[in-house]
Amino acid sequence: MISLHGVSKFYTPEAVVLKDINLTINAGEFVSVVGQSGAGKTTLVKLLIAEEKPTRGKIKLGDWDITNIRSSVVPFLRRQIGVIFQDFKLLPKKTVFENVSFALEVAGVSALRIRQVVPPVLNIVGLSDKAGRYPTELSGGEQQRVVIARSLVHRPKVIIADEPTGNLDSINTTDVIQILKKINEFGTTILLVTHNREVVNHLRRRVITLADGQIVSDEEAGKYVI
Amino acid sequence: MVSFLRVFKFAFQDIARNLGLFSMTIFILVLMLLSVNTLWSMDVVTKEAVQVVKQQVNISFYLVADASDQAIKDLTSYIQSFPQVVSVKVVSRNDVLASFETRHQFNTDVLQALSELGSNPFGPTIVVNTKEPSDYKTIMDAVNVPQYQSLVEDENFQGHEDALDRIQSITNRVNQIGLGLSILFAVIAFLIIFNAVRVAINSQRIEISIKRLVGASNWFIRAPYLVESLIYSVLSLAITMLIMYFAVHWLDQYLTIIFPTGFSLTNYYRSHMLYVFGIQGVVVLVLTVFSSTLAMRRQLKV
Ligand SMILES: Nc1ncnc2c1ncn2[C@@H]1O[C@H](COP(=O)(O)OP(=O)(O)OP(=O)(O)O)[C@@H](O)[C@H]1O
Ligand SMILES: [Mg+2]
Repeated sequence: MISLHGVSKFYTPEAVVLKDINLTINAGEFVSVVGQSGAGKTTLVKLLIAEEKPTRGKIKLGDWDITNIRSSVVPFLRRQIGVIFQDFKLLPKKTVFENVSFALEVAGVSALRIRQVVPPVLNIVGLSDKAGRYPTELSGGEQQRVVIARSLVHRPKVIIADEPTGNLDSINTTDVIQILKKINEFGTTILLVTHNREVVNHLRRRVITLADGQIVSDEEAGKYVI
Repeated sequence: MVSFLRVFKFAFQDIARNLGLFSMTIFILVLMLLSVNTLWSMDVVTKEAVQVVKQQVNISFYLVADASDQAIKDLTSYIQSFPQVVSVKVVSRNDVLASFETRHQFNTDVLQALSELGSNPFGPTIVVNTKEPSDYKTIMDAVNVPQYQSLVEDENFQGHEDALDRIQSITNRVNQIGLGLSILFAVIAFLIIFNAVRVAINSQRIEISIKRLVGASNWFIRAPYLVESLIYSVLSLAITMLIMYFAVHWLDQYLTIIFPTGFSLTNYYRSHMLYVFGIQGVVVLVLTVFSSTLAMRRQLKV
């Protein structure tokens, strides 16, 4: 599903952020990526969503070779992957329903189809009754659930989440992780970057540890070791 | 087609939900346009005033009563040959007499003395208008030659030299003040717009990054902002035109008193509407499109 071959990333010739990363993630996996601050986790995510280009190496995502993807094609890639960031905000002047449907509208999906797709997705994240609210009228956990709902509407094969629970308390964190687990059970591949020891240990799934831009451990049913 | 309609839907939705920002931006644009129009009107009025003052400044040559038609013709064409001369008018003996009589119609002593003379004592008068008030001296010197000494009895320059100097200095001062005001207004408009653009850029930056991450194409992100720019331009121009319509009407009450020429700003604006507001419309559109392009440039670079 996701594969990186000898990927390196320098922002400047001196600032080597990722060094010779080789990694394969299969369809249906739920992979956690952990590592200290500055280890290069977010950079890895940015490479996968084609926000940054690798300095060296080759990246494939599903059927896409995104190593040197053309900028005009990037929007189509983005519609195939769900992206969730810690601070990836909602559009403040759009309601919950509109924020979720926006991801479909930009792809030219018909209004009829949107009315069919959005309600079940809102149901998955438990926000059916708050569809008409604006983001400022929601709690942080609810907002993050809207972001998840938005990342789901295209039925992506991959969801990439960079510290989605970073700003949430433990109850909301559990909610968000439960939702991600549920999505994973439907067959969606999930790559979760997190700092949260309990989350990683509770999941008991594959854990990749980054340090100084290199993979230092990669274990099935791993634990949070740093 | 679906996405084309959505672009308009998003543009109007965005405006409706940002009414505060929308009305503030419109307000600033209208203020800027109003200052431009104030300057523009001032320029038009000043030019007209200078024109009127110049027309009122003229030289009169009073000719002797027995001047022959041929002599008058010679002198007229001689004066006309100077490039500084705008018009030369000959007032006949009878007309001079008639205007003298009207001028003194309540002064019986003068009229009595005139009728005792039994004949018209006045000679014809040549009235000369020059392009610039300062040209009058050239013409007077030119006529003050021996050849015409027997013909010209007296000459009179309406408004003496010091009056002319005053007019000149007032005109200069008005021009200076106008220039100063223009610069002031330009600076203010620039600061206001610069700040408005900065606010707009910050609020748009986050939005644009979100839209990009959910897979919106550049066109889909840019188009609603362009539609909004168009709406901003058209609306602010329309409001400005409405305000100018009433302002100019109100001003014209006073202008018609000042200007004997029947000059009116309303007429000026009516006949130059396409030109005046066309330029302004294009400038505002360029400005709004430029500012939102500036906002998007960094975000859409991928
Ligand atoms: N645009 C950039 N230009 C230059 N250096 C950058 C840039 N973005 C990140 N870096 C550097 O790359 C390194 C890795 O950053 P990255 O954001 O990937 O870390 P991270 O593992 O996500 O950290 P955190 O846990 O704090 O989010 C850091 O040293 C950072 O300073
Ligand atoms: Mg990070």
